[in-house]
Amino acid sequence: MNDINSFLSRLNSTINFSTILPEIILIVGLITIVITDLVNKGKNAIFLYKIFLISTLVSMGILFYQLISVIAFEDLYTNNIFNNLFRFFILICSFISVLLSVDYVLCSKISLAEFPLFKISAGLGGMILSCATNLITIYVSLEFLALSSCFLSGYTKRDIRSNEASMKFLLMSGASSSSLLYGFSLLYGFSDGQVQLDNIIDKISFSQYLPIICISAAFILAGTAFKLSLFPFHQWTPDVYEGSPTRVVAFFSVTSKVAALSLFTRLFRLIFPYLSNEWHIVVELLAISSMILGNLIAVTQRSFKRMLAYSSISQIGYVMIGILAADLENGYASMLTYTFIYIFMNLGTFARITPFSLRTGTNNIRDYAGLYMKDPVLTFSLVLCLLSLGGIPPLSGFFGKHYLFWHGWKAGLYISVTVALVTSVISIYYYLKIIKLMLTKTTNLVDTLKTYEKQKSLVSSVISTKLKSSVEMAMILCALASTLSGLFMDPIIKITRNTFF
Amino acid sequence: MNLSELIHEFILALIEPGILVGSIGTISFINTTNSSFSLGLVFTCISLLYFALNADFIAAAQLLVYVGAINVLIVFAIMITDQSVSSDSEKRGIGYFTALGACSILFLTIVCIFHKINDFYSSSIHQSEYLKLNLFEQNDVQNIGYQLLNKFLVPFELASLLLLVALVGAINPARDEDEGKDIAENKKKSFVSSTSPRDKSSFF
Repeated sequence: MNDINSFLSRLNSTINFSTILPEIILIVGLITIVITDLVNKGKNAIFLYKIFLISTLVSMGILFYQLISVIAFEDLYTNNIFNNLFRFFILICSFISVLLSVDYVLCSKISLAEFPLFKISAGLGGMILSCATNLITIYVSLEFLALSSCFLSGYTKRDIRSNEASMKFLLMSGASSSSLLYGFSLLYGFSDGQVQLDNIIDKISFSQYLPIICISAAFILAGTAFKLSLFPFHQWTPDVYEGSPTRVVAFFSVTSKVAALSLFTRLFRLIFPYLSNEWHIVVELLAISSMILGNLIAVTQRSFKRMLAYSSISQIGYVMIGILAADLENGYASMLTYTFIYIFMNLGTFARITPFSLRTGTNNIRDYAGLYMKDPVLTFSLVLCLLSLGGIPPLSGFFGKHYLFWHGWKAGLYISVTVALVTSVISIYYYLKIIKLMLTKTTNLVDTLKTYEKQKSLVSSVISTKLKSSVEMAMILCALASTLSGLFMDPIIKITRNTFF
Repeated sequence: MNLSELIHEFILALIEPGILVGSIGTISFINTTNSSFSLGLVFTCISLLYFALNADFIAAAQLLVYVGAINVLIVFAIMITDQSVSSDSEKRGIGYFTALGACSILFLTIVCIFHKINDFYSSSIHQSEYLKLNLFEQNDVQNIGYQLLNKFLVPFELASLLLLVALVGAINPARDEDEGKDIAENKKKSFVSSTSPRDKSSFF
């Protein structure tokens, strides 16, 4: 008994539990989902989603409270504004993706309790990744996120595209995390056995071991650039996005990118500050190539999901400019604001594709022709989100891009900003192509739209109205956020300003 | 040399041929089951080597993980798949000689590096510093347990959650479910004839 008491008191002194309380709530939600499904024997799956929703909301509330009163705590976690903002972003992603996937319950023929389980675990992995300052925690949480995303993408196991997508994702993520681990092992060895990021910089003598640190930086860059799908490591993105179920793509197109962004920024800012000239050049090159490649190939795509995959590659290219342009007075404000807006834009677009493809069973862009006659709400909100992605004023995408490019220009990244502007114009082309297709009245409607039914025919009407409203709620939320966030740009920038570390 | 060093050399002289024989057996047995068993011999001898080098935790971990899990899995997989005895061709093409050359260069590099390190650490200054580290009186397992529950508590618990999710995720695609009852219910409620895009609704 004495041992347990002393252990608990020592535990309390080393880890302040209130700092990881949001994650603990998510873990409690995860365990509750598993046990509830076990007890209910597979019935009443909507209850599981309610648990997920509640735990996400409570977690967000506690995180909000913590954001206001910053508790500074070192060792495993550092609770500065940067980390907390990323945790908040990931919680928003999880919340909106729950709203998207509620109707999965009744429309699919496969078991459903594992779906919220994997989503919670991916969100948990992302949240811990955003605050980890310790090589081991970084690696374990990265693997957690990758593994849960892989299971999610292979969820519809009877469909061969899903199998292919999850196989590709698993193999590529395994290869990239082994490269990351090799970079970590070099850092661990040459800093005399230190695992904490701060201690590594203290102990490693940069002048003596410069070639080794460059090699380690190259490996870490390769490992994290895979997650971000930057240029040479982007090959997995279109295939995985096209193959996975649409709700899943919505979820991990934002969650894993946001978590990987926080990891990338923290690693490169903390460990390699003396190398900043070198890795700035390399990252700039990667960003320019991702922007060019993503936008040019997206022009030629015929499937909506593949086009969105390439467009997300180019969006991450834009965000890289924000990372490179960080300076003392503005911190990472441009990157954080653009990430925030990107979450809503991307989730909004996927929130509209999901019901459309559910009702017509196709993903081809040509089949969107004349949609405004059948479903004006969907058309209008899709138009808003696509325009926001393209960066047309007065939507918030424009404000995000404007701030990003202004910040980049001020920091001297002239080539990147010029390329970004040119490729933004190219991206407007393919977004407008879809909008034009949807809004023009075609004399002979496409076959698929002829059978376009507004209500889901697989369920009874009562449940369908209740569930339809959750996806509609997500759509409207995202549309509003991607439109009106531009008006709230100044407060957002002020919050994200002092994030330089 | 004194008695303890003699015993140490003797034990090492027993273990190292075991590793050598086992690895040669792994690559040259025609029957894959024999080859996987000799792989088990290699892993066991490596773990005995760790014991002789006074790293008790690593030795135990090697036995549990490599021999007890990975090798058992390999043997299991080999025995389940009904393999015919593979015949290896006697022709030695260009690939054989390239691999031979690359491996021998690698081997010579490693031997040279080890000799240099040996010379470096044999000098008296380094030996006294090495002895000061007092490695032989630490209790590895206790130290590791202490660190796991104090400094590395979050990754430790997260790894246990990862195991849970990995188990669920591994069983999920492999499991058999009854979808007969679901299909019957859905067919009753649908009033649109199910064309092929409609069947893909679960995918979207």
